[in-house]
Amino acid sequence: MSYVFDFPAVFEHTDALLAGTGRTLALTAIGAVIGIALGIVGAVCRAWRLAPFDRLFAVYVELIRNTPFLVQLFFIFFGLPAIGVQMNEWQAAILAVIINLGAYSTEIIRAGIEATPKGQIEAAQSLALNRLQTFRHVVLPPALLKVWPALCSQVVIVMLGTSVCSQIAAEELTFAANFIQSRNFRAFETYFIVTAIYFLLAIGIRQLMMQIGRRLIARRP
Amino acid sequence: MALVRIDALHKHFGSNHVLKGIDLDIEEGQVIALIGRSGSGKSTLLRTINGLESFDEGCIEVDGERIHPHETDLRALRQKVGMVFQQFNLFPHLSAGQNVMLATRIVRKMPEAEARELAKAMLLKVGLQDKFDAFPDQLSGGQQQRVAIARALAMQPRVLLCDEITSALDPELVNEVLAVVKDLAAEGMTLIMVTHEMRFAREVGDKLVFMYQGRVHETGDPRDVFANPQTPELAAFIGAIQ
Repeated sequence: MSYVFDFPAVFEHTDALLAGTGRTLALTAIGAVIGIALGIVGAVCRAWRLAPFDRLFAVYVELIRNTPFLVQLFFIFFGLPAIGVQMNEWQAAILAVIINLGAYSTEIIRAGIEATPKGQIEAAQSLALNRLQTFRHVVLPPALLKVWPALCSQVVIVMLGTSVCSQIAAEELTFAANFIQSRNFRAFETYFIVTAIYFLLAIGIRQLMMQIGRRLIARRP
Repeated sequence: MALVRIDALHKHFGSNHVLKGIDLDIEEGQVIALIGRSGSGKSTLLRTINGLESFDEGCIEVDGERIHPHETDLRALRQKVGMVFQQFNLFPHLSAGQNVMLATRIVRKMPEAEARELAKAMLLKVGLQDKFDAFPDQLSGGQQQRVAIARALAMQPRVLLCDEITSALDPELVNEVLAVVKDLAAEGMTLIMVTHEMRFAREVGDKLVFMYQGRVHETGDPRDVFANPQTPELAAFIGAIQ
């Protein structure tokens, strides 16, 4: 093997790497916040059997969970313009991430809500909380805590999945990698570095989200 | 005028007629011990008093708040009736203090500082003033149940319902909970307890209500009733538990 590694050739493009990392994180953060919010709404509709929304969410969840993310993204970016819905690559990427995570988190959060012991709801009722107050203060926080590790994993999966947004020219981290290695022809070094960045992002997001769960939902120090 | 009036109360679970015309008046400050075999309707009766169970016929009135069969808006009633459960049912994501504060904050709309002071006072009352920041999973069963009592008391109920509140406790933790209940009784709190603690019922109870097959079968002063049961069913029940 006579290959001579040249990592400095990658670091010449640190700006592009940082910009790509930042956009990947931004896309993930926006998608996670709105996607999980959508998941909470979907989970409530499903768990409380609010017709007709429960059926709509059931169809939506099955549709998204049984099709590839790349196809969902292409459908939004290339397909929707045919019926007059125009979006730039970032709008399409953000929408695709929200829709994708919304479906998975609907199912995850629903499991948490349905695992609420009956006694918790009775205790809230006996304290004269109304239905909405009971949900907001008694049902939802423990439900989210219970499924939080699963939600963290799903957000990490979504973050890694945003790499396919490079295919519609959204200039996130994978797009930056493709760009850099097309300039310096250092595919090994470039993808090695980018792989390392994704790995660290995944670990970091998981840690951050576990902290958020503990402090914000459980209010524990 | 009775604080709690129960008139001709009937309830069915499907084809099972579980309450067959209950009439019961409870005066302010009375401690009522509801006893009976499992399936006799005592827990169901207790749970109708704060609307956790609906009923089919009759009427319940607590401190002037009347409820009729299949009433849906029970929040006014529930502000007058506190409840403590066998399984404690503390909210696991909230500290002891936050458990006690929750309803005063969001139902009574009490300002944070005031709710906090009230919660501290209630925890002091049950001897847990130093556990304000402890989470339920850091407390023993007896401590959890005392927090649950403090939580119910924070809403300043006129009546406190206790549904077998010591049945899930290890034997050595029963007394600390009963001591709290005894203090409440001494302060004049109206208590309706479903209990298997016959010694406690005899010591603290003002009135014993023996339920049998969905009816109030025998009532009276606990000391008399235990010494002189008037019906063979109660005699058999007392025999079975002693």
